[in-house]
Amino acid sequence: MQNPILTVSHITKRFTGTTALDNVSLELYPQEILAVMGENGAGKSTLMKILSGIYPYGSYDGEIKIQDTLCRFKSPAYSEAAGIAMIYQELNLELDLTVAENILLGRYPKTKMGLINWEQVYQDAGAALERLQVKIDVHAPVRSLSPSMQQLVSIARALYCNPKILILDEPTSVLTEKETETLMQILHGLQKQNIACIYISHKLDEVFKLCDRMVILRDGKWISEYSKSQGYQSTRIIEDMIGRRLDVMYPKTKKKIGEEIMRIEHFCVQHPFAYGKHIIEDVSFSVRKGEILGLAGLVGAGRSELVSAIYGLTDSIGGTLYFDGKKITHPTPERSIRMGMGFLSEDRKKNGFVWTMDIEQNMTLAILKEISQGGFINQSREDKISDEYFDRLRIKAPDKKTLITSLSGGNQQKVIIAKWLMTKLKLLILDEPTRGIDVGTKAEIYKLINDLAAQGIAVIMISSELPELIAMCDRFIVLGKGVVQAELSKKDADEVSIMRAASCT
Amino acid sequence: MESQGEKKRFGRLSQWFLRKQESSVILVLILYCVIVTIVNPVFISANNVVNILRSTGFTLIVVVGMTLVLITAGLDLSVGSVFAMGSIVCGICCTAGISVWLSMLIGTGVGLLFGMTIGFTIVKTGIPPLMITLGMQYIGRGMVSAITKGVPVYPLPDGFTSLEKISLFGIIPIIVPVSILIAVAGHIVLSRTTFGRSVYAIGGNQEAAKISGINIDRTKMIVYSLTSALAAFSGIMMASRLGSAEPSTGTGFEMKVICACIIGGTSSFGGTGTVLGAALGAVFMEVITNSLTLMKISVYWQNLFFGVILIAAVLLDQYKRALMMRQSVKVKE
Repeated sequence: MQNPILTVSHITKRFTGTTALDNVSLELYPQEILAVMGENGAGKSTLMKILSGIYPYGSYDGEIKIQDTLCRFKSPAYSEAAGIAMIYQELNLELDLTVAENILLGRYPKTKMGLINWEQVYQDAGAALERLQVKIDVHAPVRSLSPSMQQLVSIARALYCNPKILILDEPTSVLTEKETETLMQILHGLQKQNIACIYISHKLDEVFKLCDRMVILRDGKWISEYSKSQGYQSTRIIEDMIGRRLDVMYPKTKKKIGEEIMRIEHFCVQHPFAYGKHIIEDVSFSVRKGEILGLAGLVGAGRSELVSAIYGLTDSIGGTLYFDGKKITHPTPERSIRMGMGFLSEDRKKNGFVWTMDIEQNMTLAILKEISQGGFINQSREDKISDEYFDRLRIKAPDKKTLITSLSGGNQQKVIIAKWLMTKLKLLILDEPTRGIDVGTKAEIYKLINDLAAQGIAVIMISSELPELIAMCDRFIVLGKGVVQAELSKKDADEVSIMRAASCT
Repeated sequence: MESQGEKKRFGRLSQWFLRKQESSVILVLILYCVIVTIVNPVFISANNVVNILRSTGFTLIVVVGMTLVLITAGLDLSVGSVFAMGSIVCGICCTAGISVWLSMLIGTGVGLLFGMTIGFTIVKTGIPPLMITLGMQYIGRGMVSAITKGVPVYPLPDGFTSLEKISLFGIIPIIVPVSILIAVAGHIVLSRTTFGRSVYAIGGNQEAAKISGINIDRTKMIVYSLTSALAAFSGIMMASRLGSAEPSTGTGFEMKVICACIIGGTSSFGGTGTVLGAALGAVFMEVITNSLTLMKISVYWQNLFFGVILIAAVLLDQYKRALMMRQSVKVKE
């Protein structure tokens, strides 16, 4: 066998309180596409940040070798110079610059006068795109491109400095199925141009098709390795990733599904970026007491935008909302809470909690009126209710006066859930409730959701992790192209049927 | 045994003290006062202390409002102009023969209206408060100049000018208890009411506050209206003290107020701060002005000192926060 182009040996990286990587070793061979798989928090991103020099040499134990030279990256510039190019999950392009400017950003060729040689810029950008065999106008502003085109621009940007190793961190999370297909062809093409790839994803089907070998990480440890030539077995791989048998994750509770609590008819919601475009065209569905309704769809299908509009956080353009038998016009979060709705937002850090407040203050934020008299907060009432939920949800913190920012993601999520449990809850909307949360807490949150449903509370759940959605929900609404593509009952729903409906095929 | 228990209690006490947001400004203030007293013992004479509190009063009244504004992650640069507007409107009213109390009410009311306009514009347009209030600063000052044509309203009736000369127990001028009363009320509102909690939540994370059902627009409207009303009221008290309503009064006042808040530990990013801390910040600034005279240092140095202390206060606050963070991590392990 050939000598590896990249050798990572015995890497250990600690953060205050946690070990993100524990003695991880792996090799990458020339012309290989290697998948690094694992759940959120498994240590994939940490490893990539070490490889790309974001965590500099010295902040971790172990060593990295490219071919036979030991690498000591002080910053991403060093890693780039050594031939590693990184493509991040979030597209970090300057939206208002042109394609060419983005591809060469920070590396503009100069004329003799010391000014930017624009002719050269466009030529080089064109050449970089040529390698990908795609046709994109180098003069177009990046904002006008679709997400997949933007993705290609960032790959072209990475290729411009002739890397030997290309790292892609969940590149397909914003792409449609067809665009994913194109990306895979491009990666195979690069393989022939003598570039080795590390491909991070948790989409199994993609990895099965694309990657020659996969390494599985869990809780910062190397767990197992499989190669394409031996054949991939999905059950074993999933179990390696989650570290337990599949059936234990999702506890079953007996419950009765009651009458309808909320119904929307012909909902229409404005697209968040494209003016005049509707991300949701015409959607109608209902949810019943004690039911867990799953909202499925690809990224960009408008799931989050739809629930935001139902909750009243953003305005809907058209359609009617009925809650508890009453027609609701112009919902606002304030009114929605009074009616009995709760809303756990998709991005916890952005709008889930108030980071200057402690656990207790975050918990009682939605029930300030209930725990106050004449505008004054009743301290003992606040103490009592926050104590109760602090214990009930088993939040891991020294006490409830701890700042919420010093908690782990899972415990932060528990605090936010507690906030909604304190209200007179009838319908809870959960947008990606387990994103970025460790496996243990995930199971606790699943149990909590099931308990809520058993008490007759309706739940609308959005999740990009299909297995989770399928296991948790009683009924599924699949969104795509702004309308309901399919409504599936529990027994008809599996990954294939949902994905087929979501990709509108 | 006993000394150990004592030590533990002291440890807990110092912990509690460090966690208090006001701790850094208190420590520095006390230290500074001690030094000044050593240099010139006149500093702690009753007369001088009253003097300091009297000049602090005018700033303190506005600081209470500004603290709320800063905690919502906002900013109000217009308070200096509103300060002048309050004094001019009230001055014109009482020279026109309107009763003193009604004139004061009208002056404060005009400030309130001005503040409501600010709040409304900020909430409805979404333009950053810095821009809106900078514009309103010019508009307010412009209105004052246009009304007075630059000429002070003078003389003011005795009934009005005697107001500031009322004193408690013969030595404490009325502005001292009035400003302290306003500060205490502000502190209670901020720390004990749902409104105060909303103010903190908006500054900490406006999006999250909105999702939690907090009425962002209403809260901000109240905060800006209140601040302008307080600024106008403070201006009225100043006119009463000077015996004349000057159109140029309060120029640069907004920076002094903001500086006091920041020295008192209010975060310029919003979400944290207390009225007590900001009040101590206001006292501190006055102490510096006063002490420079007492230590026979030219008063022209004053602004330089303010600048240094402002930056030092922010640095100290940052260091303290880092310390607390480290502690909370340790507790977690």
